[in-house]
Amino acid sequence: MQAFTVLTSAAVPVPIAKIDTGMILPGRYMRRHRRPGHDYGEAFLHDIRFDENEKPRPDCALNDPAYGKPEILLTDADFGCGSSREGAAYAVLDYGFRAMIGPSFAEIFYGNCLQNGVLPVVLDETICHRLWADVRKSPGITVTIDLPRQIVVDSDGNKHPFEINPLRKDRLVQGLDDIDVTQGYAREIAMVEGRRRGSYPWLPVTSQA
Amino acid sequence: MPAARTLFENVWDDHVIASSQGEDLLYVDFNYINEGQSFLAFDQLRLEGRKSVRPEQHLAVTDHYLPTINRQAGIEGIANPEIRKVVSMMANNAAEFGLPHIHMHHRRQGIAHVIGPELGISQPGMLITCNDSHTATHGAMGACAIPIGGSNQLRHVVATQTVWMKRPKTMRIGIDGTLARMVTAKDVILSIIREIGIGGGTGYAVEYAGSTIRAMAMASRMTICNMSIEGGARIGMIGPDDTTFQHLANCERAPKGAYWDRAIGYWRTLPTGDSAQFDRELTLDAAALAPMVTWGTSPEDCSPIDGKVPDPDSFSDPERRRHVARALEYMQITPAMPLSEVRVDRIFVGSCTNSRIEDLRAAAGVLKGKKASVPGMVSAGSSEIKRQAEQEGLHRIFLDAGLEWRDSGCSSCNGSNGEIVGPGQRCASTTNRNFEGRQGRAAMTHIMSPAMVAAAAVTGRLTDVRHMALA
Repeated sequence: MQAFTVLTSAAVPVPIAKIDTGMILPGRYMRRHRRPGHDYGEAFLHDIRFDENEKPRPDCALNDPAYGKPEILLTDADFGCGSSREGAAYAVLDYGFRAMIGPSFAEIFYGNCLQNGVLPVVLDETICHRLWADVRKSPGITVTIDLPRQIVVDSDGNKHPFEINPLRKDRLVQGLDDIDVTQGYAREIAMVEGRRRGSYPWLPVTSQA
Repeated sequence: MPAARTLFENVWDDHVIASSQGEDLLYVDFNYINEGQSFLAFDQLRLEGRKSVRPEQHLAVTDHYLPTINRQAGIEGIANPEIRKVVSMMANNAAEFGLPHIHMHHRRQGIAHVIGPELGISQPGMLITCNDSHTATHGAMGACAIPIGGSNQLRHVVATQTVWMKRPKTMRIGIDGTLARMVTAKDVILSIIREIGIGGGTGYAVEYAGSTIRAMAMASRMTICNMSIEGGARIGMIGPDDTTFQHLANCERAPKGAYWDRAIGYWRTLPTGDSAQFDRELTLDAAALAPMVTWGTSPEDCSPIDGKVPDPDSFSDPERRRHVARALEYMQITPAMPLSEVRVDRIFVGSCTNSRIEDLRAAAGVLKGKKASVPGMVSAGSSEIKRQAEQEGLHRIFLDAGLEWRDSGCSSCNGSNGEIVGPGQRCASTTNRNFEGRQGRAAMTHIMSPAMVAAAAVTGRLTDVRHMALA
């Protein structure tokens, strides 16, 4: 997992509420093996970016070259609601985003993003709306997300603090994988497993499924 | 006297291995795996040279991508090469990692959330995970069942038999009173979601309680817990009671003999104590509920069938107003239109929400002696349920009505198996999600109970099943 510390980048708005994971990664792309050079970037918000004839929708800021190569996506409320498909987080990452800023994110999607090195930042709705207005006025202007200090710095230099679970923050800053951390608890795992098997010997196993 | 505890606390705390910076490391008693995105997890495990540490505590189930027709032709019978690839990848990954697998030809093939409780693998007090957002279904058994991400988190569970989770807050939703005729568990959970909104349960483990829940059969309880995630909650649970134990007594994988008595003794200690405290409580009057239908593109966009399509301007929250306006445009319906005038193009009965034998009986009860005026399909939640339905002659009622009688799988609920609703087509569906494009690009979904879908099949429009004459 790529570490995330401080990111300064252009930001692009997709101001639509309740974009669900099926819009972020349409079902028809979910059968794909994901490998370098054949990733989920193409699928990302495909039907929001393109119309039925595969023509780019002019009203979608993601199609506007004036934003350059933004690594920050500005989202609206409940972004990532719907199915738990982790491919949605891959689509965000593969399209080129390292972070999102929005008023709220769905819980599973939020966790999936953090697990994959994408930082979703929750800021107050009024601040989000101001960010949309700022970047629309001057597409390509940069926003900074400073994860160690937990602040977003907008193009006018205003600082907006944000919350993040300290464990997730720590692992994201260090680019640490969950399994590495967990294997440090081998003794404790064995203890709980032994206790459960002793107390509840009927717990199901499926050796002959 | 120790303080009274909630069902959730009793189960969760018994699985905590360690806590670190706001998250608990939990022991996973059992994990279900579907073919969905799990190939990504196995790709990664293979690359890293990692193995499954407890293969016997997993069950791979082919349900999401597997078409519900043409099974006898085997894997080669799956026409779409990409779908065929995903189905065969699950079989290969299960074999390579030594995981038991309910494959496409298995006698018990079905939807994971249906067959887990059906086999009695999902039991009270267990911590269960699955790479699917409807995992809370197993919470109806009194388990703590948690959805996990299909790649990174699944990879972690396979490699360590544990999962890191933030401990949720607790919410109790009490439903008391008697449901009116033709008002079902589906109407209860849709009413709850309408009340709390799709984000209302975010960060909570929900316990459904009250006399209405106590009176419900397991199938109804599963429908309720199943849609916890549509209200934002990853965990939904119901205290185990005699209804739960009677169900388990008939299950092939439930504890037997002396273990059965010990298990019941333990299970009886799990329910929430009388004075236990919840972080949030709300109540619902069951008698006031009516059959519900969704009219928009989010599960909270629902109303009683005798209502009208709402006006976006009637919502005070500007964000909600914007959403409803967009939803009505997508759904091609206009404010003030009576819901019973919305015409449908097809119907679907199935999915982990409503595909159990009781659901099929409810739909068949309405369809008996009638013809469907629109095409549609019925897919039992498991091969076992399909056999049971055929024994009861339910399949004849569906076939005589002109509907397709399909094999078991996720089918038209998620569409990743190719069984989609066409663009611009409107489907009355027993499923759980009505987001834009959920059942297919530009498809319009109206969610409702099996009986309501059956009524819509007969009339070709959204219909109040309470007014329907039954054979």
